[in-house]
Parts: sequence; structure tokens; C-alpha cells
Amino acid sequence: MSSESIVKLSDRLRFQRQRFKEVMPTIPGTAYIFLAPFFITFVLFLAFPIFYTVYLSFFTYQGVASDPLFWVQFGNVYLEIPKIASLEFVGLANYQRLLRDSVFHQSMFNTIYVFAIELPLMVGLALGLAVVLNAGFTRFKGVFRSLMLLPVSANTVAYSVVFVVIVAEGGLLDFIFQLFGIAPLNWLGNGFWSRNLMAFMVVWRWTGYNMIIILAGLQTISESLYEAAEIDGASRLQKFRYITIPQLKPVLLFVLVTTTIGSFKKFSEPTILIGAGAPVKETRTVVYYIYEVAFQNLQLGYGSALTVVLVGIVMSLSVIQLKWS
Amino acid sequence: MHEKSKTEALWRFGGYGFLIAAALFMIVPIYWIVIASTLPQSAILSSSGALPQLLPGGHFVENFQALQSRQYVNFMSSVWNSIFIAIVYTVLALILCSMAGFAFAKYEFRFKKSIFAGILATLIIPVNLLVIPLFLVMSTANMTNTYAAVILPWAAYPVGIFFMRQSMQAIPDALLESARMDGASEFQLFYRVAIPSMRSSMAALAVILFLFQWNMFLWPLVVLDTDKFTIPVAITKIMGQQVVAFDQLMVASAVAILPMFVVFLALQKYFVRGILSGAVKE
Repeated sequence: MSSESIVKLSDRLRFQRQRFKEVMPTIPGTAYIFLAPFFITFVLFLAFPIFYTVYLSFFTYQGVASDPLFWVQFGNVYLEIPKIASLEFVGLANYQRLLRDSVFHQSMFNTIYVFAIELPLMVGLALGLAVVLNAGFTRFKGVFRSLMLLPVSANTVAYSVVFVVIVAEGGLLDFIFQLFGIAPLNWLGNGFWSRNLMAFMVVWRWTGYNMIIILAGLQTISESLYEAAEIDGASRLQKFRYITIPQLKPVLLFVLVTTTIGSFKKFSEPTILIGAGAPVKETRTVVYYIYEVAFQNLQLGYGSALTVVLVGIVMSLSVIQLKWS
Repeated sequence: MHEKSKTEALWRFGGYGFLIAAALFMIVPIYWIVIASTLPQSAILSSSGALPQLLPGGHFVENFQALQSRQYVNFMSSVWNSIFIAIVYTVLALILCSMAGFAFAKYEFRFKKSIFAGILATLIIPVNLLVIPLFLVMSTANMTNTYAAVILPWAAYPVGIFFMRQSMQAIPDALLESARMDGASEFQLFYRVAIPSMRSSMAALAVILFLFQWNMFLWPLVVLDTDKFTIPVAITKIMGQQVVAFDQLMVASAVAILPMFVVFLALQKYFVRGILSGAVKE
């Protein structure tokens, strides 16, 4: 090889190395090192459970497994990967059972009922409050905003207890009702009222959360749109209908999606209400039922099938809502 | 002109009326948390529709002592468990999310897009309902009733990685490049250059993470036993033992809620930013 060609080759190598450096400015492995802790945790505790729930839903849980899934022995070193559970394959039996399970149907109805009550209340209130707080004339905006937001930080179990104490017989609400001459309601003894109570509680807890998101959305709407409409003589309601609502559409959709997901995940509220004596039949949500099936009756396979259905419903609702935007 | 100012006044009147009504709705339960925890049971619930006591009483210490002397549930230890778990979780999740966010924001690597899409996909799945497989995994690993079992599962918090990726993208590449020229290692770039400029983002995420863990209920209920109960689990167990001890339950609820209100008021700016980060879509 001539010295000339060696120089050429080393030039080319240097050139390639430089080009490589442009594409990969650093040691290629660095990014993976930064990513690894997150990724491993993510796969083990988020991604794997997603698939394993679906898998489990085709089985009946028989208890803890005694035999290992996989083992190797090198001399004295013995390594084994344990089986996660002892399972019996049952095909679609769990899903067939779920179609006939009247307790599941009732708890699904309860969940949807509460959702249907709380969604318009929560989003409507939040929108109204955001509009008023965004209006030019309102004073003490910061104080009102903080007050509406405070419940968002409340522990879900603890605030449920507070509501139970307020609505219990002889409690604060009975007294307030009495002031207005309304006969006290049996919030905890009557299934219809305990279900509505759950919706009202959630409105208290989450309205501020939606309000702050809508408020941020309102502040992104350009002032010039309103000024133009004013020149055309638009009224307040017309401005709201033809400028605010269309401009807010993506934000409102986001609020709808998060409210939907949150609503179907309700667990703390029914647990406390039922603990305080509310009728189980009318107050039980789907997640509460899953907890009963899986962790009180230890039917983990059936519990997984219920989870798959619930997660499927929530996912498709959010996908539909997102598609609209 | 006169007509117009009249409707304007009506709008203002209606607006304030609405605002004040909503504020009252929000404030009554908060007020009652403070008041009722200082009252004996007989004053929280009155028989025969008599006026309940609306001013603070002097019964807080008695209620707390009664709460603390219960069999089976040690309330104070559940307070410490909650604090410990929430702090360790917040620190761990912050480290994981900011490291991964840095990788996604400032490096090119193979499978970057598909890994990110995979994380994105889990956002529409209510992952904290997937407790059955987690419970089996923890049982197999002999990790039930450990702090790690509560802390680890959501340390890889998908919203957190989005938030950190987005914040990290604001770091100018030239800044990192010049630090590289000065001979900084990649890890030094991360904690000497990236992290210090991320203080307010990390504070916002920290508030959200802390609250998420503080309020977590289903999973701790499933995986923890008496000695490691968190506050929400302890409250539920107290409720299951004896339905009528509302005075004690009010104290327990006040302990769970009021410190968070203080934290919230102090860190409201970060809190709001944290909430809004979820609303900002890519």
C-alpha cells in the first residue's frame, strides 16, 4: 500500500468519524444509560401488567405457584425464575360470566349514573367559574382561584369521610336544610341519594381542577377576536357562543377526557360511603367490585377480566373524544 | 347607552352571585374539617335537629388521643409511613423522569420514536387500576408489605417524562456543546448544566408527584399490612372497625387534608403549572 493511499484512507476514516459525530454527537450508549432506570421500571410495573392483565383474564387463579418457571444450575450456583401464579386456562369463561353477572351490571350502571350526573355539573361549573374569573370586572381573582383549587389537593379518602360526617343524620347538612325549611334526606341509608352524594362530592373535589385548565385556555384566546365582535355589536352571549366556545374546543375536550377517565376510576368514595353504611348495591362502582372480586374473594382471573373490560371502555371513550377534536 | 350599562350591571351581579355561591360550596367542607375535628362526637352530630356547634371546641387533643389509643391501627405510624413513602417516591420519580426526559430531549438514539410512542400509549390507559398483576408480581418477589412495593410501581410516571422532555428541550444545544468542549462528561452535563436550569419545572413535577402518592389508595390497601399502613388505608380500617367514631375520623381526615392545603397555598404557582402541563398537548 502506498503512503498516498494510507493518507487517503485515514482522511476518509476521519471524515466518516466526523460525520458520525454530527449524527451522534456523543457516545451512543449515553442516552440509553439515562433512559435505562425509567425504562426498566416502566416495563416491569406499567407495560408488563397491561399485558399480564389480559393474559390473566383467560385463566382461573389457583393460588401461588410451587414449581419454578425456569431454572439453571452451574455447579453450586442455582438460579430460578419463579412462576408468578398457578393458573388454570378457562378460555372465555370469565367473559361469559361477566355478561351474566348482575352485580357487575349493577355496578357498571352505578358508575355510569354517577358519571352522567357529575360530568355536566363539573364541566359546566368549571366553565362558568373560569369565564367569571377571566372577566375584566371581577375583583379578588387570586383569592377565588385559590379557594376553588384547594379541594384538588384534598386526600380522596379523607374528604369522603368529611362528606359522610356532613351528611350523616343530625349533621351539618341536615341543619342547613332545616334553615331553608327542607326536610332532611337520608343520604347514607338510601341508595338513590348515596349515588347522587357521590357525584356531588366529586364535583367539590374536581371542579377547581377543570376550572384552572379552562381558565388557562381562555387566556390564550386573542383579545382582538372579542374587539372585532364588539365592533359588530355582538352581545356577551353571542361572543361566548361564537368565539369562546369554538376557541376553547380543544381545552374542553381535554377536560371531558380527563373527567371521564377519573369518573370511571372511582374507588375511595364508594369505599368510604359503603363503610359508613350506604347500601352496597347502589353505591358499588366497578373498581370497588373489582377490588371485592380480586382481593376479598381472591378470584384474580375474573377480576382481571373485569379490569380488561373497564380499561377497554375508558380507553375507547377517550379515543372517541380525542377523535372529535 | 343607559340600557347597555344596565345589562352590564346585571352581568356583574350574576357573575359575583355565581362566584360567591360556588365559593360557599367549596368552603363549607373545608370549614367543617377545621371545626369538627375539635368537637366531641355529640357536637358533630346533633340529635333532634338542634344547632350543631359552629365554633371550634377544645376537644382536638382528646379526639387525637382516642384515635391514637385504638387497637390494631396506629395512626401516628401511618402518618410517618405516608410522609416517608411520598418523599422517597417523589425523589425517585423525579430522578427517573428527568434522566429519561433528558435522553429524549437531547440525544438521538435508535428506537427513540418507538419507545416514546410506547410511553405515550400508556397515557390513555388508567394504569393505576392494574393492581392484580402487580400484586402477583410483588407476591412472587416476596415484596408485599414493603415500602418498595408502594414506591416502585409508578416511579416511571408517564406524565412526568413528557413534562421533563418538554422542559429539557428548552436547554440550548450550544450550552451543552460548550460544556462538552470544556471536557464535561455526559453525566456532568446532566447534573451540572441541565438540572440547575430545571429547578422550577422539577418543583412543579415534584408537587404533582407528591400529591399523587399521598392520595394513592387502592394499591396501598392491597399490598400493605398493619405496620405499614398509609393514612388513607388507616382511615378505612378505622372506619371498618367501628362506624360511629366520627370525631376521631375527623381528626384523621384533618391530618390527611390540612397539611396539603398549606403546601398547596405555599406552592400554588408550581401546582398550577403541574396541572397545566398535563393539558399541554404535543
